[in-house]
Amino acid sequence: MATEQTAQQKNPPSCDTSVEVGLIARVLQGEKDVFYELIRAYEKSVYLTAFSVLQNSGDAEEVAQDAILKAFRHLAEFRGESKFGTWLIKITLNEARMRLRKQHRHMWESIEGQNEEDNSDYVPEEFGDWREIPSEALERKEIREVISNAVAALPEIYREVIVLRDIRQLSVAEAAEVLSVRKEVVKTRLVRARLRLRDLIAPVCTSRGLFSRNPFRRGKRPWS
Amino acid sequence: MVLDCKDVRREISNYLDDDISPEMRAALEAHLAQCKHCTAILDGTHNVLVLIADDRAFPLPAGFSARLHERLRRELESV
Repeated sequence: MATEQTAQQKNPPSCDTSVEVGLIARVLQGEKDVFYELIRAYEKSVYLTAFSVLQNSGDAEEVAQDAILKAFRHLAEFRGESKFGTWLIKITLNEARMRLRKQHRHMWESIEGQNEEDNSDYVPEEFGDWREIPSEALERKEIREVISNAVAALPEIYREVIVLRDIRQLSVAEAAEVLSVRKEVVKTRLVRARLRLRDLIAPVCTSRGLFSRNPFRRGKRPWS
Repeated sequence: MVLDCKDVRREISNYLDDDISPEMRAALEAHLAQCKHCTAILDGTHNVLVLIADDRAFPLPAGFSARLHERLRRELESV
């Protein structure tokens, strides 16, 4: 699939809450074109959130557009109790879930896979050591496909939390707000989702000689 | 506090998020120092999080922004 080549920053200046408050006020006062600036930082998060539920590019794009238009129409109702981005992503998640219900696709999802599971009985597989990840690995389409397929293989509740927390880097509290669950539930889902992703991605990458050891060090966050 | 592999697996995610008590951290690191299997799981999970956090891993479809802005433009003109 062809893709936008220009990567969006995850935390551009407009994500600053005080900047956003000013932009929202201007939109509500009639400067409608300012809305483009307000949503620019969230276009990718909105699309990926929709995709995490729908698993179809066309549907995800349509829902992403619907959610952003809905946010525009209801902007006056935004009370600033959460960040604008959190509010927008929550709208997107609800729209995507409604679309899924209409399609009845959820009937084919594994019921077992949707249940909250006890993390303690999950035994990750054993693989060889990992070499440091070469930055250029992600330039390779096959690697992007491995990652994309692995995320797609997760049950929906784990895809959602991985997209929000680890791909778009919301805080645990923000992810909990979007998902309408407690922070402890987000953490519980993250444990299982991350270990499963590792089991799905690591063997492929290791077998292709991409990684061996890249030790985690305290204070070095995975996404830093 | 002494942890077994099962305990460590349960805490690895919080450890990566630096969301763990000092006591749990000390016990977890003591276990990791002598368990190659759990160390491999930690390093592998860390590597996977590095990969998926990279903006290149999940690009937008080509033309996504242009189509979105065009639809927005029509909406903004109609109100």
